[in-house]
Amino acid sequence: MTENIWAEVQGMRRRAVVILIAAVMLSGLPQRGVGALPATVKLGAVIPLTGRFAGGGGQVRAGYEFAVVDVNARGGVRVGDRQIPLELVVLDDESDPTKTVSRLETLVAQQGVAAYLGGFGSDLHAAAAAVAEKNRIPYCGVAFALHAIHQQGFKFLFSPFIKSPDIAIGTYRFLNASVPSEQRPRSVAIFAERTDWGRELARLWTTRSAEFGYRVVVAEEYSVGARDFSDIILRAKAAGAEAVFSVPTPPDGLAIIRQMKELDFSPKAIVMIRAADAVSWTQALGKDGDYVVLAPGWHHAFTYPGVAEINAKHQQRFGRPADVLVGPSYACVQIVVNAIERAGSLDPVAIRDAMATTDLQTVEGPVRFRSDGTGIVPFVLVQWQGGVQQLVWPQGAGATAFQYPAPPWRGR
Amino acid sequence: MTGRRAWLLIALGLGVLAALPLLSTGSVLTWGFQVLLYVALAQSWNVLGGFGGQVSLGHAAFFGLGAVVTRMMWLSGHPLGVALSAGMVAATVAGVLIGAPTLRLRGPYFAIGTLAVAEILRITVSNVFPEVSTLSAPALASYALAPRYLLALMAAALSTLVAWMLTQTRFGYGLAVVRDDEAVAEAVGVNAFRHKLAVFVLSSALAGLTGGVFGYYHVSFYPQFAFSPLWTFDALLITFFGGTGTVWGPPLAAAVYLLFREVLALRLVELHVLVFGILFVLVVLAFPGGLLAAWRALSAGRVRQTHRS
Repeated sequence: MTENIWAEVQGMRRRAVVILIAAVMLSGLPQRGVGALPATVKLGAVIPLTGRFAGGGGQVRAGYEFAVVDVNARGGVRVGDRQIPLELVVLDDESDPTKTVSRLETLVAQQGVAAYLGGFGSDLHAAAAAVAEKNRIPYCGVAFALHAIHQQGFKFLFSPFIKSPDIAIGTYRFLNASVPSEQRPRSVAIFAERTDWGRELARLWTTRSAEFGYRVVVAEEYSVGARDFSDIILRAKAAGAEAVFSVPTPPDGLAIIRQMKELDFSPKAIVMIRAADAVSWTQALGKDGDYVVLAPGWHHAFTYPGVAEINAKHQQRFGRPADVLVGPSYACVQIVVNAIERAGSLDPVAIRDAMATTDLQTVEGPVRFRSDGTGIVPFVLVQWQGGVQQLVWPQGAGATAFQYPAPPWRGR
Repeated sequence: MTGRRAWLLIALGLGVLAALPLLSTGSVLTWGFQVLLYVALAQSWNVLGGFGGQVSLGHAAFFGLGAVVTRMMWLSGHPLGVALSAGMVAATVAGVLIGAPTLRLRGPYFAIGTLAVAEILRITVSNVFPEVSTLSAPALASYALAPRYLLALMAAALSTLVAWMLTQTRFGYGLAVVRDDEAVAEAVGVNAFRHKLAVFVLSSALAGLTGGVFGYYHVSFYPQFAFSPLWTFDALLITFFGGTGTVWGPPLAAAVYLLFREVLALRLVELHVLVFGILFVLVVLAFPGGLLAAWRALSAGRVRQTHRS
């Protein structure tokens, strides 16, 4: 008797699981509209919302969402003589480039997107750009400074974001403009991540240093996810480095700062691009995260049209002005929508051609593209000051003074 | 089902799958490719873990070696056949080199040993080849999915054929005894170590071939990601999901697993990993013998009901 009841319970449990699986799968089947133009214009974004880049990915997503809401508030996208609502389809790639690629394929297969929007981090973008090229769908990516991928001859890749060559020059120009000659941190240590972007920027910082009056005294590579950075930190300390330049992932950046403090290595200037972009930086490091400079491509203090509205929305949703990657992400949607409207069609190739001739005032300033898809955009540097990201470059346009030199760790 | 009918059905199924590039759009083909890749990968793990009873956590090493060697040779201008063979040979040689010492270990020690070797390889590859491997713009312009799909079908069919042969051959019977009890196997004259090493190398070669297909398929990837432990765990999960040591469990499970994962990713965005994990645990609890066992139990239940009525 008991066995019968148990068998029945087992059977019910199995049926319940089967029904649950079937419901989940059926709910995911694509729903396609009928007619020449679809009910919505779909933009497909594959973003790291979990994993090592989750912090930056969250900012990128917020920018896309705000922009889509704003476009729809004014009636949607004008395609020929029709206004069509914009629809954002977001997928998480778990910060894994292999999944970035497969999810981009899923977006085309399941959703029929008109354009791709990128995620966060150069390695994910590098993997994604080739998929866009293969599928002949325009790709707009920010939070992506790797220049090498633009030298492959890709036609569908657009990035209204500062690239490594401009960062290398911009860093030195900024230091020369912001710090009196006799106080400049002339000896530079580069902690180069052993990735394509880490190597690219390390090479550019090194080759451009002399013409601006700097000398790279240490340029050491480390592996992504390394636990112990003491070797390279001690080499920089022994060489008397006054500035540290690096492009670590957020977990590596936090570890580097903590170990610099433990080893009492206090450079006058720390430029830590990417790792310091997310708000989690100050949450994890507190005052040790201050004085660090980052190049996020945008800042909420900008005075371009639309920035104040984004800040208000961000304040309402997250309790603070817009994070640094929200603006460039928002601009990406502006650029794609503008291209669709000028193309007058949802044909991806026509949208691509229109994007190539972009000349648009966006929330990150006026944007045009070079023939390799890199954006001609303002170079921005931001510094963590008292747990807040402050714009320090370009001077004027809402910028505050660069806090220099960074005090020793013990003096904070 | 008679043997003849079964073969007829298999031939028909293979024929339909081989004709898919002629019948369907790129979207179906992409999904089909992924399923077949996972069938081949899971089956290659099943040969070792399911039929051989050796739970290896280092399977990604052989997949990765196959992927990287094949891709490098192919991109440097060698014919695809040569590149795929080289990838398979590299994985086979690695199988001998890694299998010989690690198979002296048993149970969890073997599992941890293989995982450690795979991680060492992954870290080494990420240090030596840190840059993305992307197809050039002209190569992307002429990229065709159909040959990749057919290669994946070939790899899936070959690995499934190998699994089936383990149920039919003397070597397979010997392996089953080793899996169930090594001491008994030695007592009845089966050389346990040789059987384990042979199946380890066979499994590595199949994983290398599957990796090679992946290397040929992907438009861009970082070499170290082909060595990610996820390739091991996906293969292992699919095998357990379908039924370890069965011929048709992994192919069935690969289709369900991928459909499940992609649909969840599409619907639940960042929550999909969590929900996928929970649902997976529920499925394993409900069907402890795997999907194939559940299917057989349901069929048997239907037969009993028919007899009663």
